[in-house]
Amino acid sequence: MDNIVLLVVLPLLAAFLMPVLARFSEVVARVLGLSVLVFAIAIIINVWPQVNSQATSIAIGGFMPPIGISFYVDQVSILFALAIPVMVLLFWPWQRKTSIREYSLMMLLTASSSGLVLSGDLFNIYVFYELLAVASYSLIAVQGRAVSIAASFRYLLMGSVGSVMMLLGIAIIYTQTGTLNLAHLSLLAPLHLDNMAGLAAFALILVGMGVKAELFPVNNWVPEVYGSVSSNLAALMAGLLSKLAVIVVVRIMVLLFPQPEAMQLMAMLGILGVITGELVAWRARDFVRMLSFSSIGQLGLIFLAFSIPGDTGMMAGIALALHHMVVKPALFMLATGWSGSLENLSGVARRSPLTVLLFVLLILSLLGIPPLPGFWAKYLLMVGLAGQDSAVYTLGMIAVPLAMIVEIAYLFRLVMIMYRKEDTVKVKAHSKWGLAIAASAGAALIAIVLQLQPAGDKLTTLAQQLSDRNYYIMTVFPQFHTAETGMQSIK
Amino acid sequence: MSVLDDLLLFTALASVAIIVVRRFASVSKLSVIVYALATVLLVKMSALGYGGEPIYSSFTLNVLGQNLYWRFDSLSWFFALITVVIALFTSVFMSGAWAEKYCQEHSTEAYGLLQAALVLNVLSMLVLLASGDLLSLFIGWELVSWASFMMMFLNQDKVARKAAIKYIVYAMAAAMSILMAIAMTYSMTGSLDYVQIMQAVAHLSNTQIALLVTLYGVGFGIKMGVIPFHLWQAAAYAETPGPGAVFMGAISARMGLYALIVIVVQIFSLTRVAAIEIPYTFLNMQNILAWVGALTTIIPTYIALKQNDARYLLAWHGVGQGGYMLLGVMIADSIGTAGGIMHVFNYATYQAALFMAVTAVMFRTGTSNFSKLGGLVTQMPLTFMVMVVSIIGLAGIPPMNGFVSKWLVYRALLLDGEPLLFVAAVIGTLGTILSVYKLVHNTFLGQLRLEHQDVKEAPLSMLLPMLGLVLIIFGTGVMPGVVLDWVAAAQNAVGIAPITHNLGGIELAQGGLDMIWVTGVMFYGFAVGAIVFYFLGGKSKHIHQFDNYAGGHFLTSKVRYHYSNHFYAGLMHLIGGWYKDFFKKLEQALVSLVSFLSQLSENFYRSAQPAVLVAAVAFIALWFIMSSFSMPADTGTVAPITQGIQGGLPK
Repeated sequence: MDNIVLLVVLPLLAAFLMPVLARFSEVVARVLGLSVLVFAIAIIINVWPQVNSQATSIAIGGFMPPIGISFYVDQVSILFALAIPVMVLLFWPWQRKTSIREYSLMMLLTASSSGLVLSGDLFNIYVFYELLAVASYSLIAVQGRAVSIAASFRYLLMGSVGSVMMLLGIAIIYTQTGTLNLAHLSLLAPLHLDNMAGLAAFALILVGMGVKAELFPVNNWVPEVYGSVSSNLAALMAGLLSKLAVIVVVRIMVLLFPQPEAMQLMAMLGILGVITGELVAWRARDFVRMLSFSSIGQLGLIFLAFSIPGDTGMMAGIALALHHMVVKPALFMLATGWSGSLENLSGVARRSPLTVLLFVLLILSLLGIPPLPGFWAKYLLMVGLAGQDSAVYTLGMIAVPLAMIVEIAYLFRLVMIMYRKEDTVKVKAHSKWGLAIAASAGAALIAIVLQLQPAGDKLTTLAQQLSDRNYYIMTVFPQFHTAETGMQSIK
Repeated sequence: MSVLDDLLLFTALASVAIIVVRRFASVSKLSVIVYALATVLLVKMSALGYGGEPIYSSFTLNVLGQNLYWRFDSLSWFFALITVVIALFTSVFMSGAWAEKYCQEHSTEAYGLLQAALVLNVLSMLVLLASGDLLSLFIGWELVSWASFMMMFLNQDKVARKAAIKYIVYAMAAAMSILMAIAMTYSMTGSLDYVQIMQAVAHLSNTQIALLVTLYGVGFGIKMGVIPFHLWQAAAYAETPGPGAVFMGAISARMGLYALIVIVVQIFSLTRVAAIEIPYTFLNMQNILAWVGALTTIIPTYIALKQNDARYLLAWHGVGQGGYMLLGVMIADSIGTAGGIMHVFNYATYQAALFMAVTAVMFRTGTSNFSKLGGLVTQMPLTFMVMVVSIIGLAGIPPMNGFVSKWLVYRALLLDGEPLLFVAAVIGTLGTILSVYKLVHNTFLGQLRLEHQDVKEAPLSMLLPMLGLVLIIFGTGVMPGVVLDWVAAAQNAVGIAPITHNLGGIELAQGGLDMIWVTGVMFYGFAVGAIVFYFLGGKSKHIHQFDNYAGGHFLTSKVRYHYSNHFYAGLMHLIGGWYKDFFKKLEQALVSLVSFLSQLSENFYRSAQPAVLVAAVAFIALWFIMSSFSMPADTGTVAPITQGIQGGLPK
């Protein structure tokens, strides 16, 4: 079980070793990176059954929490931890002859994002978050085009202001409680964080993490960045990194800030994200730009879903996040051949009918057409929203359907262009690898439709674990038998 | 395995089979066999048409704590029968000569896709009709929407594509409205099962019911094309390839009515809906729905009057006729609902026949534009006969079946004391009569155009289904009791007192209707007239088609005369001012609004100072927190900092 730590350590080591090794043998360096990723997947598969039965907390270096730093491994974090090496492998920059630096940055990205989902304390979350940010700025800049450097700079500006905000938030929490361990904080939160200072800390953390999670309104780096980097990196950022940030925010919210004000703030920003994202996507005349704004909209939905109190909202959030994690990278993979103006795609269905059908399948699921998985996620979201009384959720209940109508209008306008009679296609062929990924994403959607019942059950378990505060505390501090005894002993 | 399992499984497998063999010529024969067998399976369930117990499918799905199941009751069976029978007629219609021509003009692939779209439509409708709870209803609903979209998508012309995308946006709006309603129903009643919701409805407040009925009404109403959601339907249906238009025009939009009956009539019950008063008016919710129906009979019908293309004229009528059904169902007594439900059957038969006739004319002449038609009666007499019988049905004139259902609706309106609605319905019928005359006159009457002199009668494979439908139109007009049996069973299934009827019509203390008697008198009258004319010295003279005059001016047979331009010029002069395209402008305004908001949002994403923005946002977020947080009185001061961790935690 303790070898979970290797998920962070090995890629980190590899990241620093690779440039050095490359001086002696470039091949060895390149193989090293890949083998670390494969090894990471093997580790996770190895511990998977154990985690499935019982979540664990791993004290690093033998120092027990709350003094030592700890990793928390439950079904949710192991799922995302698995997704990281898998998706990094899938979106590895195979196609181009890249410098070893880019490989090294990819390893850094793997290490930091694994650390981010597994960390059990705020300090490490901040450290890994910064590492991740640095890795992604550099990865964008390393693409070498003038636009991508400009985009990277924009992202850097927003990201650094964001991380200062987050640091400030963490500082406030520390002054209020004197600890940074999440489980410990969770015990103290009702006493010390249920006040204005606590909520201010949450707002700061939300805005800070939100930069990465494409949260409105700190997301206006998104279109430029996705538009200027390779599809692979865009797929990785939109599909994986944004979700990791969301999961961390949700963990912090569940454990530390279950106050309605915190949730409503997040809900409000989520709604604004959905509306603005979908509206701008409606105007977009460029495939990647359209996908970027649609991604902003989807992330808004995810935030809105997670902000709903109760299990239904949590289920909706996880379902939407996982769904987006499958669909959006697949769409970005299709963008490898279809980048540029939408008009270039006129009549593309005559040339590659199957690819267009795959595209239609993906967007149907994105729109939430039953019985595709996207529908069940949206259904849960609507049921969750309908169960709340607060005006924010009612607003969400109205905004989400309206946004969906806008979304179908622009997505099917594109489908119409693709199915035009006249064939004026000016697009490249897709890379085989990208097409294979997109096809397997489509197959995954169909597989889930055929296995709805078990998928629903798994989702329920994930949501329960993610929303269960006591379970978290009990896992980290097994010496307390209930959260109440923990509270008492704290007092 | 129940019969319902057989039906659904069979149709699903048949869909796969048709999709697989779509490139072969045999697909046309296969589809005829498929619909014939499906009809046989429905006949095996015919106990449902006479008040039998619902049949359940053994397939259920348990997902996210909801139990989804499928079943057929009398109402579903009635709608399913219409669907499958119309599909059968359509498939015969499109099997022979029409298929050859379509394959030549397009490709065998395109024809196969049309067949595939048809069978997927049938399958999805059966799934919808079989739904047993709100979630399976929604799944079926969306399947129907997308199957319709597939059908519309087959025509690659620009107009058709524009209509299709308009449709899909409307359909999404409908779906979202229904999804909202379903989510709210779940949160209010704690269940998605019809029976449990029915029990819980009693505890809901009027506001809640009003909200739900509005949301469901908007969703289902969009599919039916009721006012003000009528703009999408006509173009979308008219532009689908011929037989597609036959099927879609006849039954597709009625799925909205089915769902509306299940939700509003069966679950919420109209007495409950009628109890909801609309503030500041003398109307209640039920009146509103009835008036939506009445306006839907009027506005689209008069828009139909203005059309210059036979397919568009018929499609606009389809929208208008939906209004009668809604109006009938909303009267809520046994006569009115019987009229509304029966009209679904009657309408499907004559609308299918009419679209077939128009498609046959298009098949022979290549156009459905009124300005390019005329005088075809000499060339296509049987098609003419089909159209005449069908428009008699559509206009609601005895002895055809359309008369019976419209009579029931009128009767119920009068008995119910709704004179205004009655007048509205009559105005709608007036528009119908005028526009169907325009249809038959501009297509078949007048002088034949030069280029149509070699046109032949429609081929047998197309004539047979038309004539079959004519027999049904006439047969169920003379003996409406056959259909009224099924209607009564359907009424019973949704909890309305079934109509008392016999083979010839209905029995009613205030004056019933016996169509056998009515038809008898009519034919007796015709016979007397014929005798007077032919045997008692009445002179008759046979006039050649080209031997007529225009405005007192003699025309040689070299100049063909046919009056089709500015038809009803006088009437249009009177009512022309009302065609202001109000709803179209409303639609455009909405699009402009979205465009404006979209630009506004884009400006935000193009902002040049992102970092300042983050800071500003953090500030606003803090301000939001500070202002909304209500501070407890006793812990108003800053919370104390704990003394590290040594204090509390046991090692």
